[in-house]
Amino acid sequence: MAGAGIKTINKRIRSVRSTQQITKAMKMVSAAKLRRAQDRLVSARPYSRKLTELLQRLAGAGDSGHPYLERRVVHRRLVLVVTSDKGLCGAYNMNVIRVAQRAADASIAEGRPCAIYAIGRKARDYFRKRGYDVVASHDDFAASASDDKARRVADAVVKMFTDGDVDEVLLAYAAFISTLTQRPVLDTLLPVAPPAGGDDAAASAIDYIWEPGRDALFAALLPQYVRNRVYITLSEAFASEHGARMTSMSAATENAGELIEALTLRRNRERQAAITQEISEIVGGANAL
Amino acid sequence: MANSFKVTITTAEQQLLETDSVSLTLPGIAGYLGIWANHAPLVTALVPGVMTLRHNDSGAAGTVSHFAVSRGFVEVADNRVSVMVDSCEPSDQIDVTRAEAALERAKKLLQEPASAKVDVARAEAALERAKARLVAARKNK
Repeated sequence: MAGAGIKTINKRIRSVRSTQQITKAMKMVSAAKLRRAQDRLVSARPYSRKLTELLQRLAGAGDSGHPYLERRVVHRRLVLVVTSDKGLCGAYNMNVIRVAQRAADASIAEGRPCAIYAIGRKARDYFRKRGYDVVASHDDFAASASDDKARRVADAVVKMFTDGDVDEVLLAYAAFISTLTQRPVLDTLLPVAPPAGGDDAAASAIDYIWEPGRDALFAALLPQYVRNRVYITLSEAFASEHGARMTSMSAATENAGELIEALTLRRNRERQAAITQEISEIVGGANAL
Repeated sequence: MANSFKVTITTAEQQLLETDSVSLTLPGIAGYLGIWANHAPLVTALVPGVMTLRHNDSGAAGTVSHFAVSRGFVEVADNRVSVMVDSCEPSDQIDVTRAEAALERAKKLLQEPASAKVDVARAEAALERAKARLVAARKNK
């Protein structure tokens, strides 16, 4: 019967509309969070830039044999993966996980075991389910970076490295390019490769007083540098997450709108058809009399 | 020659302050050090302590601000001073009761026998930070 068809369509329209309300709300929440994450990223840059500059200037201080710099034969790797806790953010998590998994698989294929340090529930569940060696994980970072969280992660990672548990630490995360673009990247965290451009002309032109000595300063700077890199990584990843979620939720809201439009059209058409049919039935009945 | 210099204070999370200053006193690793305009290029590590900044608002009589800073670094070059620290609190924003509580907690931790698995380095750092905060807060009065 035509009436039942209209009823089903009405029901579907209502259901799509309530989904649309959810996606719209999520989009707006992500937009607000993205702005905060972006601000955070921007305000973290001056410190990071300064620290890197300083390290560059000190890098020429000769190989001080600091444990963070030590390149050992790799027996075991660690990949630090940063993903989100929640879904509904498009391909964001899969893109990062794919990069991390490729690195891990390549390492395992070489006969070097690879451990996973998972930040975000998605990475943890993914790698655990597939039998990877997930040595540590966090699922309470709530997609917002802080110096304190970075310290926790950095301390744990550095300890594994200096204890000889792992000989190389890689970072897999989504670098924030723009709201629409996040690029999954793989980087080396440890051993620290001092940023290039050590003693160039501009830096060595200034004759600094180093207190207490270049080697000691360098040694004091390295832990700071590692922690800051973790902090920046978290900031980038979380900004990317909100960007990805905002984009996908905005697309979902649009799709829901289109669906509602199409369904409304179909409902009206069916209602029209029902009315037409009823009239012709009445007319047909009257003629028969 | 210039008699003021630019100071920027940054922490890992944000840039806190960028201002013109006539003098700056910092808790360096080898003791407190003062910086005036046209200081020789210098890089040094900082320890928890009180940083004192004289603003460039009326010459040598400029207003003074105190900050409690924790570990970090300072770089001086070309009349620019960059202070990079883990944390930096203006003295008028310090919660004295909280700092006192932190001080007591750290002291207690340090008195316990070493077997108690106390992270001595961490407790000592906390002690230094709490002390610095209290000294900075007192300067404000």
